[in-house]
Amino acid sequence: MLRVPLSKALPNAVKAVCSPKRGSTTLAKAPEKIEVFIDDKSVMVEPGTTVLQAAAMVGVEIPRFCYHERLAVAGNCRMCLVEVEKSPKPVAACAMPVMKGWRIKTNSDMTKKAREGVMEFLLVNHPLDCPICDQGGECDLQDQSMAFGSDRSRFTDIQFSGKRAVEDKDVGPLIKTVMTRCIHCTRCIRFASEVAGIDDLGTTGRGSDMQIGTYVEKFFLSELSGNVIDLCPVGALTSKPYAFTARPWETRKTESVDVLDAVGSNIIVSTRTGEVMRILPRLNEEVNEEWLSDKARFSYDGLKRQRLITPMLKGPEGELLPVEWEDALSFASKAIRDAGSEIGVIAGGQADAEALIALKDLINKLGSELVCTERAFPDDGAGTDLRSSYLLNSKITGIEEADVVLLIGTNPRFEAPLVNSRIRKAWVHNELEVGLIGPCVNLTYSFDHLGEDPNVIEEVLSGKHPFAKKLLNAKKPLIILGSQQLERNDGVAILSKVQQMAKHLSSKIGSEWKVLNILQQVASQVAALDLGYKAGVESLKECPPKVLFLLGADECAITRDDLPQSTTVIYLGSHGDNGASMADIVLPAAAYTEKQATYVNTEGRAQQTLVAVTPPGMAREDWKIIRAISEVVGKKLPYDTLNEIRGRLEQVSPNLTRYGEAEEANFYDQAVELSKEACNKLDCEPLEVKYKDLEDYYMTDPISRASTTMAKCVQAVRKQKESKYYDSGTA
Amino acid sequence: MNLLPNLRRLVQNLVTQRTLKTSSISLSENLFVHRDSAEDNPDIKFEFNEENKKRADAILSIYPEGHKRAAMIPLLDLAQRQHGWLPISAMHKVAEILDLPKMRVYEVATFYTMFMRKPTGKYHVQVCTTTPCWLRGSDEVLSCCKSELGIGVGETSKDGMFTLSEVECLGACVNAPMIQVNDDYYEDLTPETTRKILNELKASKKPPPGPQNGRFAAEPKGDFTSLKSEPPGPGFKMQDL
Amino acid sequence: MAKYLGLDKLQTFAKIIKQNGGIKGSLYKLYRQDELKLGTLVGEDKYGNKYYENNMYFYGRNRWVEYADYYYLDYDGSQVPAEWFGWLHYKTDLPPHLDPSRPKYPWMADHTENLSGTAKQYVPYSTTRPKIEAWCPPKKK
Repeated sequence: MLRVPLSKALPNAVKAVCSPKRGSTTLAKAPEKIEVFIDDKSVMVEPGTTVLQAAAMVGVEIPRFCYHERLAVAGNCRMCLVEVEKSPKPVAACAMPVMKGWRIKTNSDMTKKAREGVMEFLLVNHPLDCPICDQGGECDLQDQSMAFGSDRSRFTDIQFSGKRAVEDKDVGPLIKTVMTRCIHCTRCIRFASEVAGIDDLGTTGRGSDMQIGTYVEKFFLSELSGNVIDLCPVGALTSKPYAFTARPWETRKTESVDVLDAVGSNIIVSTRTGEVMRILPRLNEEVNEEWLSDKARFSYDGLKRQRLITPMLKGPEGELLPVEWEDALSFASKAIRDAGSEIGVIAGGQADAEALIALKDLINKLGSELVCTERAFPDDGAGTDLRSSYLLNSKITGIEEADVVLLIGTNPRFEAPLVNSRIRKAWVHNELEVGLIGPCVNLTYSFDHLGEDPNVIEEVLSGKHPFAKKLLNAKKPLIILGSQQLERNDGVAILSKVQQMAKHLSSKIGSEWKVLNILQQVASQVAALDLGYKAGVESLKECPPKVLFLLGADECAITRDDLPQSTTVIYLGSHGDNGASMADIVLPAAAYTEKQATYVNTEGRAQQTLVAVTPPGMAREDWKIIRAISEVVGKKLPYDTLNEIRGRLEQVSPNLTRYGEAEEANFYDQAVELSKEACNKLDCEPLEVKYKDLEDYYMTDPISRASTTMAKCVQAVRKQKESKYYDSGTA
Repeated sequence: MNLLPNLRRLVQNLVTQRTLKTSSISLSENLFVHRDSAEDNPDIKFEFNEENKKRADAILSIYPEGHKRAAMIPLLDLAQRQHGWLPISAMHKVAEILDLPKMRVYEVATFYTMFMRKPTGKYHVQVCTTTPCWLRGSDEVLSCCKSELGIGVGETSKDGMFTLSEVECLGACVNAPMIQVNDDYYEDLTPETTRKILNELKASKKPPPGPQNGRFAAEPKGDFTSLKSEPPGPGFKMQDL
Repeated sequence: MAKYLGLDKLQTFAKIIKQNGGIKGSLYKLYRQDELKLGTLVGEDKYGNKYYENNMYFYGRNRWVEYADYYYLDYDGSQVPAEWFGWLHYKTDLPPHLDPSRPKYPWMADHTENLSGTAKQYVPYSTTRPKIEAWCPPKKK
C-alpha cells in the first residue's frame, strides 16, 4: 500500500490530540500541459495527471477497485491495468503519471486480457455468495466481473480445500463485516486514516494471510464510520441495520436532505413498501462531498419508532387520549380563540420553513409577535437582523482554502461532522493551522489549544495572544464560532468581539474573503431567523402566553414548570418526546422523509426534502395542519398549495426558494458597529460545548433519540471505553 | 445412438481442457489477529531497559525529523531482542515512542515473519527445508531436531528453551542443509552434528557457528576441483595468423 | 273409517299439540322452530338438546333435534355435540347412550359450538412487527 508518510513536524501540537500525520498529495505545478492519446483521442493534461484521470477527461472509464478520487492512491488491486504503446507490460492507470505523447489503449487485447486475469485472481478467493450478500446489485466486483471478467470459470477445487476464509471482525453496531469477501483494496483503511482520522483499521499479515481489521479487539467507532460501507467495493463491509432487508433494485430512491444537523447533507432515501430502508449520501461537492455522518445515515429507524400517528387530547385524568382530527382541530382552535393575542410559538430544531412561515403568519394574524426558536441568539446589537451574524459565511467549501482556522466554543466534530471533515481535509492537504478556544476535545487533527476562558477571545483580538500573529499573517483566516456560545449570558459580547476580530482581519485581506462564521447546530435555525423568528424563549418565559404552540420543540427550552397551569400547550411534531409529553393537544406531523419541505443549512443554503414515504397514520404535513387550524379559528391563511406557500416564503425571504444556492450575507461592518453599542463584558465562566465525546453525539434530537441503532452506538462507545485497547487520545 | 458424441466429449475432456487447479491453500500457522492471553496482554507493561533506551535513542537519531517512523522495524527488533519475543505491549511501546497510531505498528509487526508474536524459546531453531537443503537431507535434520527437543514444528519446549520452526530458504544453499539458531547459522549438517549442537545448547554452551564439516566457508570440501593448473599465458587458444 | 274421513289426521294433530305442551306451548315452539313434530324422545345430551325420532316422516326428516330452551332463537347446527351428530346424520342408528363401543377418554375435550360471528370468535393475530411503532404517552402517576 502506498501511503505518503509525510508527517509534519508540529512542535506545539497538543498532546491530547492524535498524532499529527498528513499525507501530502500536492504535486509541484508545472506550467505546460502535455498531450497524451487515450484510444487515439488526443487530450491535453497537466503533468502529473495519472492515466486514469486523463482517461476520465475524455470520458473513458477505467475499471478500478482500490482507486478512489477522494483517497490516496494505493495501486494494489491492479484492475486498472491498461496498455501503453511501446510499454512491454500493462501499467496500473491509477498510479502511473502520464508522459508526453503516450498512447494509452484502454480497449486493446492486452488490456482486456490483463483485466480478465486480475478478475480471475480476485475471484479465486472470493466466495460465491452473491445471493446472500447485501452488496448484491450494487457490487463493484459483480458489475466488473460481468463487464470485464471471463465468461467461463477455470476454477476447479480439485482438493476440495475451499477458498481462503477469514474470520469476521466485530467493528461495532453499524458495520457488518464478512471478511472472506474482502479483496484488500484498503479503501476503508485509507478512509479511516485520511478522512475520519481514526487510525484503527489496517492490514495484518501478508500474502494469503493478509487481513483487514483492527488486529486487537476493538470497535471502529467514528462519527463518519458508515462511509466505509459505501466505499467498500464488495460486500465485506455492509450496513448492519440494513442487513438482509432489501435489495437495491427493489427500492425507490428519493433525493432529499438530512436535517439532523445544520450541515444539510444531501441524501438519498431508499424506500420500499412505504418504509424507509436506508439512507445514503448524495454527491454535493459544496456540502457533504460524498460522505455522510453516522447519525444522518443510521438514525432512520428512529423514523419508525415513537411516532405520533393520531391527534391526541388530554383526557379527564390528565392522560393523552387518541382522538379524530376533527376533535383535535376544534379543541385547538377553541383554545386559540380563547387566548386571543396571548399566544406564543417555540420552533424546534427540525421545523421546516413552510411550517415556520405558516405558523408565524397565523400567530401574527392573531395579533401576537411571540414567535421564538428554541436556540437563543443575542438580541442586542444587530441581533438577528443581519444575516452575516448567524451564517457560516465562508461556506463549507471555503474551509478548504483557509490557512488558519480559529474555532471558538465549538466541537465541529460532533456538531457538524462534515464541516469537521473539511477542516481535516484542509489540515491534511492545505497545511491548515487550527486554534481552539473552548474545551479541549479530540477533533481528529492537531490544534493549538488557546484555553477555555472567553477572555482569550479578547486577548486574541487585542493581539496579545501568540495565536493572533498567526491569524494576522494568514492569507485566508477563518473564525468559526459555535452557536452554543451565543446562548450564554455574555453571548452578545462574544459575538461582538468575534465580529470585531473578523473585521480587523478582513480589513487586511480584503472583503472578498469572509472571515466570520457561525456554526449552527440545528437544521431549522437559519430558516427561522431568515423568516423573522425571535431567537430564544426568554420573552415567553417573561410573559407566558395562554396558548403555547410547540413546533417540534423537544429540547425543554420551556418546561411545564415555567408556565401557569391554565396555559394550553399544543405540540405539533412527528415524535413523542419531551414536547409531546408536556402537551395538552398533540397534532401528529410528518418527519423530514415524509414531506416536501424547505430547510436552510448553516451556510444559508436553501435545500428541499422530497416525499419518500407518506406520513404514518393520521399524521399530516406540518403546514397543512396549521393551515387547517387557521381556517377553524377563522383567520384563514391565504395559501392552499405548496406552490402558494412557497410564494409566500419568497415574499418574506427570497433566498428560501432558491434551492441549492447559498445566499451571500452582507453588512458585516454595520453588524460590527451595532454590536459595539451592546454590552461588551465577557464572563469568566469557561466556554462549554454540549457534545464533547462520541457518546454525546449519537442521540441529540427526537429522531435519533427514538432510534435503537443510535442507542446501540452509545452502548458500543461505553463498552469501548472499558476496553483495554481504548485510547482516549485517538478515539 | 449417442455413443459417438459421448465418446468425443470424453476424449476432449481427457485431452484438451485446461483448468486452473488449486492445491490446498498453505497458510501461516500464526494468527493475524490478537487474542489476549496470560502471557500477552496490554496489562503486562513493557519498558526498554536502560541500555536499550540508549540504543533506541541512537536508532532514532539516524532518521531525520518527520521520518521517525522509519525507525519502527529496528525498534521492534530491539524490543524482541530484549523480551525474547514481541508482546503486544512492546508494540504499544514502540507506537508511543514514534507517536504513531498503534495499528501502524501492528501492521509492520504482523507483516514480517521474523517478529515472533507468540512466546518463543530462548533458542529459536529454524530448519531450512527449501529444495537445496531438502536434497541434501534437511528432512533428517528436522526429524532429528524434533526427536531431540521433543517438540513439533511451531512448538515451544516446556522449559521455554527451544522453539522449532520450519523456514524457507535462508540463503545458505551452498552449505546445505542448515539451521539457524537465533542469529547464528549452523551449516553442512548431518543428524549427528545437529544432535551435538542441540545438546551443547541444552547445556547452555554456545557451539561455534558456521559449517560443521570442517569447511571454513563455501569453499570445496577437501581439495579444489577446478582451476588447479597454472593460468595459461597470453595468446592461449588463439589462432595463428 | 276414521282414516277415510281424515280424522286420523286430526288425531295426529291433537297428539302433536299435546306432545308440544298444549296450545300455548305449541305456538311457542312454532315461533321458535317454525315446525311442530311428533316423535319419540331418543335421548338428551348434556347441554339439554333433545333428540327425537319418528319414522312416520320420510328419511331425512325422521330424526331431529330440539335445541335447549336457553338458546332461544340463537341455535344452530354446531350446537349438536359430536356424539349425537353421527346419529342425527344416519352414520349410526345407535344413539350414544345406547352404544357401548363409543370410547370415553379423559382427554376428550368438551364440545364447543362454532363461535364465528360472535364476540368470542377466533381472530388470528399478526406475527409481523408493525412498520410504525406509535408513541405511547407516559401514564400520569
